[in-house]
Amino acid sequence: MTFGAVSIVLISIAISAVGAIVALLFKSNFSLNKNLSSVIGIVAALYGIYAGFLGMTGQGELVSYATPFPFASLSLLVNPLSGLLLFVLSLLALVAWIYGLSYMDEYKKQGAMTFGFFMHTFILSMALVVLADNAFWFLVFFELMSLTSYFLVTIEQSKASTHAGLMYMVMAHAGLLMIMAAFLMFGSQAGSLEFEAFRQTQLSPVLASTVFLLTFIGFGIKAGMIPFHSWLPLAHPSAPSNISALMSGGMIKIGIFGIVKVAFDLLQGSEQMIWWGIVIIGFGAVSSLLGIIYALVENDVKRFLAYSSVENIGIILLGVGVSLVGVASGNNVLAILGLAGGLFHLLNHAVFKGLLFLGAGSITFAAHTKNMELLGGLGRLMPITATCFLIGSLAISALPPLNGFVSEWLIYQGLFNSIMSEGIVVMIVSAVAIVALALTGALAVTCFVKAYGVSFAGSPRSDQAANAKEVPAPMKIAMLILAVFCVILGVGAHFIVPVFSSIAKATALSQGAEVTASVALVNPASSAFTSTFVIAVVLLIAILVARLIHNIFGGNQFGEKVALPWATGYKPDVEMAVTATTFATGVEHFYDFFYDLRRNLSSGKGGVARAFDSIVNGARNIEPVSDKYLVDDTVRDVESMSEKIRRIASGDFQKYVLYIVGALIVLLALAVIL
Amino acid sequence: MLINALLGFIQALLLLLLTPLFTGISRKLRARIQTRKGAPILQDYYDLAKLFSRQEMVTKNAGPIFKWMPAIYLGSYFAIAMGLPLLTANSPIPFLADVITIIYLLAVPRFFFALASIDTSSSFAGVGGVRELIVSTLVEPGMMLSLIVVALLAGTTSITEISIMNLTGNIPALMAFVVAGIAFAYCTYIELGKLPYDLAEAEQELQEGPLTEYSGASLAFLKLGMGLKQLVMLGLFIAIFLPFGASLDGSFISVVLAAVILIVEILVIYFIVGIIENVVARVRFANASHQIWVSLGIASLAFVFLIVGI
Repeated sequence: MTFGAVSIVLISIAISAVGAIVALLFKSNFSLNKNLSSVIGIVAALYGIYAGFLGMTGQGELVSYATPFPFASLSLLVNPLSGLLLFVLSLLALVAWIYGLSYMDEYKKQGAMTFGFFMHTFILSMALVVLADNAFWFLVFFELMSLTSYFLVTIEQSKASTHAGLMYMVMAHAGLLMIMAAFLMFGSQAGSLEFEAFRQTQLSPVLASTVFLLTFIGFGIKAGMIPFHSWLPLAHPSAPSNISALMSGGMIKIGIFGIVKVAFDLLQGSEQMIWWGIVIIGFGAVSSLLGIIYALVENDVKRFLAYSSVENIGIILLGVGVSLVGVASGNNVLAILGLAGGLFHLLNHAVFKGLLFLGAGSITFAAHTKNMELLGGLGRLMPITATCFLIGSLAISALPPLNGFVSEWLIYQGLFNSIMSEGIVVMIVSAVAIVALALTGALAVTCFVKAYGVSFAGSPRSDQAANAKEVPAPMKIAMLILAVFCVILGVGAHFIVPVFSSIAKATALSQGAEVTASVALVNPASSAFTSTFVIAVVLLIAILVARLIHNIFGGNQFGEKVALPWATGYKPDVEMAVTATTFATGVEHFYDFFYDLRRNLSSGKGGVARAFDSIVNGARNIEPVSDKYLVDDTVRDVESMSEKIRRIASGDFQKYVLYIVGALIVLLALAVIL
Repeated sequence: MLINALLGFIQALLLLLLTPLFTGISRKLRARIQTRKGAPILQDYYDLAKLFSRQEMVTKNAGPIFKWMPAIYLGSYFAIAMGLPLLTANSPIPFLADVITIIYLLAVPRFFFALASIDTSSSFAGVGGVRELIVSTLVEPGMMLSLIVVALLAGTTSITEISIMNLTGNIPALMAFVVAGIAFAYCTYIELGKLPYDLAEAEQELQEGPLTEYSGASLAFLKLGMGLKQLVMLGLFIAIFLPFGASLDGSFISVVLAAVILIVEILVIYFIVGIIENVVARVRFANASHQIWVSLGIASLAFVFLIVGI
């Protein structure tokens, strides 16, 4: 095992670290910096993809390095689950770097010098979170990930992005706090912060449930699950689009990863409970339905995509929840079916959401607006972007034979089986979830017809849109890579689903459990499974033959005549055509209940907001008490010291955060060097 | 496998070729109810032949989506029709005959139908496209739940197995099955686009909505496609709830007999649908949701019956 998966990841991480340093060194030369960073990033990402692939198909490899801190040896674990995440993150990193070669020119004026540095550190910290098998380091890397991404969110340095960044910081830390509390509780029982020790520990049911709930909410915030999603539609659209792709496709998956890791892996020594799974299914159903409903009324293409991420996180959670019900009730079929569906959807969502965010980036690159009302008719001007965006839209709408369909099909099968096999509560919750998922599916189709139709079809509604040009080659290549993945993961499902069932098996079941090899592929009750390949062939042949007949009989026989659209005799006007608002008003009319819900929750006087206010006020009142007895003396000493510190501290929030990043990196370097 | 695929092809072709006949009968029926003489039953064949020989008009700025849509629309319904277990109880292409797969397959033509309507830049077409999508979001939950209930009864989502369960009379909870059938029939009726739910292609309201800007062969394709869509929806209903004719052994005689029974069944349903659509008034689009949500209510009732086991 000279070159195991762990070594290869470490190579990838080391290359990223070199990239970060290089980005700092060549600060003055924009294009050199950009090209060098990107090339290094591409190499690192390729290593990451390879390592992820090895991890997914391998047995699991744990490497532990001693550090100066006796409680926290740097344990790194590559197993099928973390391998999958590595693969997802590295794939997105790869396309983000390629895309950035041209796209980052847009950010020349806006502090893009540091872009290379933060993107490298962001990617490497995500990889380390996934690998870490020690609670201490997990938290350190998790924090590093949040901080570096904060800088990427605020890279535009506009008012909106600064606000988004602040919101993001607050939410990220609320989540971190919960996870930290859970890990400390767990650690005190296990007597160690090593995850390996966690796995051996049996917690009491109450403690186990507390740990589960704390981490579920903590990671749920990171994942953007409703009702903890408010930061996501602010933060993701503010970042440059290739970074939005990395965040929306990759980073929020770390939230899912955390939930799966804690519930299935770390808590395996304790008894997992069925109601945990029910809670996850419940949150999943709500997130998927509300996410897509809120997405429908967005006119900003990137906010729209961010809300759709909330929806897809919900769908993934449905699979995870079903699986947890299966694990808790000892139903191995359910455990594998659900988790395979959830994890496959995790990969799929990374691919098509990455693609769509890159597409949105191309729209802003070409037309300089994110507002779909001002777009239209881009399909003829930017054919490659349009085709890629169309493939992404079809895939995310779960239309067969593309990849989104396969994973949703598996999740449906998981829910279906959980209705059949478990108690009445699970039965009803799963049925509600199926209905929610069906409604979500129909709404997703509506949503993405809107996104594609309003942006790319029809006539341009502004000069910006009319003068748009196709984007440069690197951006096209990045989108094409992901578009090809959408097709391969869908049509090749026959070969890919077994990989996911083995990942699910390795994650959800303890070593001893034996399940027939093909269980996740085959619906056990029907022994019929879906074959997207056959569906693709039948569909394609039927459509092509139809087109051929169309051409023979008339289509091109007499030629076409171009005319203006009919408008009851008036002169047609672009204002008359369908816009994003047409969809919004229609949907708002029929689903007003959900929008009322949202208005009431966010009006500031709702229950949640009031509770938050009272907590803040309470904390404010308690604050002076400790001042009086503890702080006042210390303050005098500190003040003299802070005179000296003031030279390096300039009072800029960004800089403070930067210091923390620096401190974390030093800590990491210490651990590696010593 | 190949023989089966051929059978699926013949089945879909049969439905496609009969499409204008059924729509023609439907027209005739409406005329008779309104005490008119009406056009000949074969009129829709003449119309199609005429359309195929006409020049096409394309709106300014319309792109490839607009031009490809008629083929995609007709082609996808044809593909779906190939998979339904109509003539034989075993689906010719089992991968297509899964209740979840089929609901998502039905979204493929709808996606492009609505997209092309936006691509025309015409407001009538666009509004029709949006309506088509919104109506589907209202119908889909009830449709999915009623299908899930029958799938649960059969213990599988495969339509073939559900068909066979029905044919052999081994239904564990008959009441649940019947109520699910009512819910699904209601959903199917809405999807047929007949009055009172003629919303997306409403002639009087929206100038046939998404069809507004189509002409010539494209229009012929869409007319055929919409007729085939009706038959596919009915076929799905028949395959699951009324698979009486479907051949279990697949012998030639039984398949021919199945085809005859299928045609009779469709005729009867068309007759019933024709009477309903001629005695009701169009529902206002804004109020449609109150009625359509009822389908989810009925399906939920079926689910309750399923839990109770009656």
